[in-house]
Amino acid sequence: MKGTSEHGETSKAPLSRGVSKGLSVLDLILRFIAIIGTLASAIAMGTTNETLPFFTQFIRFKAQYSDLPTLTFFVIANSIVCAYLILSLPLSIVHIIRSKAKFSRLLLIFLDAAMLALVTAGASAAAAIVYLAHKGNVRANWLAICQQFDSFCERISGSLIGSFGAMVILILMILLSAIALARR
Amino acid sequence: MSEPATVIHMDDGKAPAAAAAASSSYATAPTTTTGDAAAAAGTTSSNNKARRGLPLLLRSGADGFRRCLAVIDFVLRVAAFGPTLAAAISTGTADERLSVFTQFFQFHARFDDFTAFTFFVVANAVAAGYLVLSLPFSAVCILRPKATGARLFLLLCDVVVMCLLTSAGAAAAAIVYLAHWGSRRANWVPICMQFHGFCQRTSGAVVATFLAVLVFVVLIFMGAGAIRRRRHH
Repeated sequence: MKGTSEHGETSKAPLSRGVSKGLSVLDLILRFIAIIGTLASAIAMGTTNETLPFFTQFIRFKAQYSDLPTLTFFVIANSIVCAYLILSLPLSIVHIIRSKAKFSRLLLIFLDAAMLALVTAGASAAAAIVYLAHKGNVRANWLAICQQFDSFCERISGSLIGSFGAMVILILMILLSAIALARR
Repeated sequence: MSEPATVIHMDDGKAPAAAAAASSSYATAPTTTTGDAAAAAGTTSSNNKARRGLPLLLRSGADGFRRCLAVIDFVLRVAAFGPTLAAAISTGTADERLSVFTQFFQFHARFDDFTAFTFFVVANAVAAGYLVLSLPFSAVCILRPKATGARLFLLLCDVVVMCLLTSAGAAAAAIVYLAHWGSRRANWVPICMQFHGFCQRTSGAVVATFLAVLVFVVLIFMGAGAIRRRRHH
């Protein structure tokens, strides 16, 4: 009795193997969506360039993403996460084919968590700046620049959506990988 | 004198078996020495199987390894509680009034004045509360190394709270960066020139938050590693 209970189950039911493959396929699909999200955010923020039609002697009314270092960090962070997601596509495909890969899943969870931290940091720092651009700050005497730069403001606000969506997708991917690990 | 075929030593059989049961799984509850021999043979055979396919670092009993990870997990949680609570308190009580004032402008800075700092204080308080509340779950993971459901739940909550903490830390870091250096293009003045104490406090709090985020990433990695080691076939 003890001997048979020690060996555990040796044959996997086809249903559980199908569920494992389904999890891996879902992981791949989510990765594609996250790639599109981060790429769109990086491009939308990186191509901001607005010049107002009037100018004074001292100030040139021109707005670009590189004027605010936080937005530059946002573009760089989204680019890094996009590149990582593209490079991790082969690993995800390997997980569909070979469900028994344990170390690669653990490595994928670790890298996903690191990239989640990076994209969250970039997205929320940019969100803080965008909020300031919309509302300004009375106490620090910071003017709301969105009053003048309309299309620049719209662009940088819209590019946050893709980044935050990619953040949610990364959380789901980590959860999927952990469930796939626990099912072994 | 005839000796019995199987010699049953109650004291010798029970002591190492009790130690083995305490340090490994609860499923093996030996009642006789023949059962002990079979259980010992079973665990050594599964240990041999486990040792054959693993790299050098992870060659140990599965439950002992998971227990070790769970203890480190507990200690790290207690360690991360300090920075988050300190960050929340130090930003929440940062209140600086300058001795100069004009007719229209009062030089007074509090965390209330910046929405990002309010979010920062709230998120750090939530993270500190979560760390305290997750200590019992972590203790359960130490005592019962095979509780995969609790580990999975803890991992999910860790990921979400790490995300929240990173978000709050990054937003506060953006505001602190602006306060230190301002922005010439947007005509935003660096207020740290005047508000020294407020600036120092919030900068230190942001650093503490990012340290806690690092601890969270290690916690997530260890949690996934503890889930990973199931029975090898």
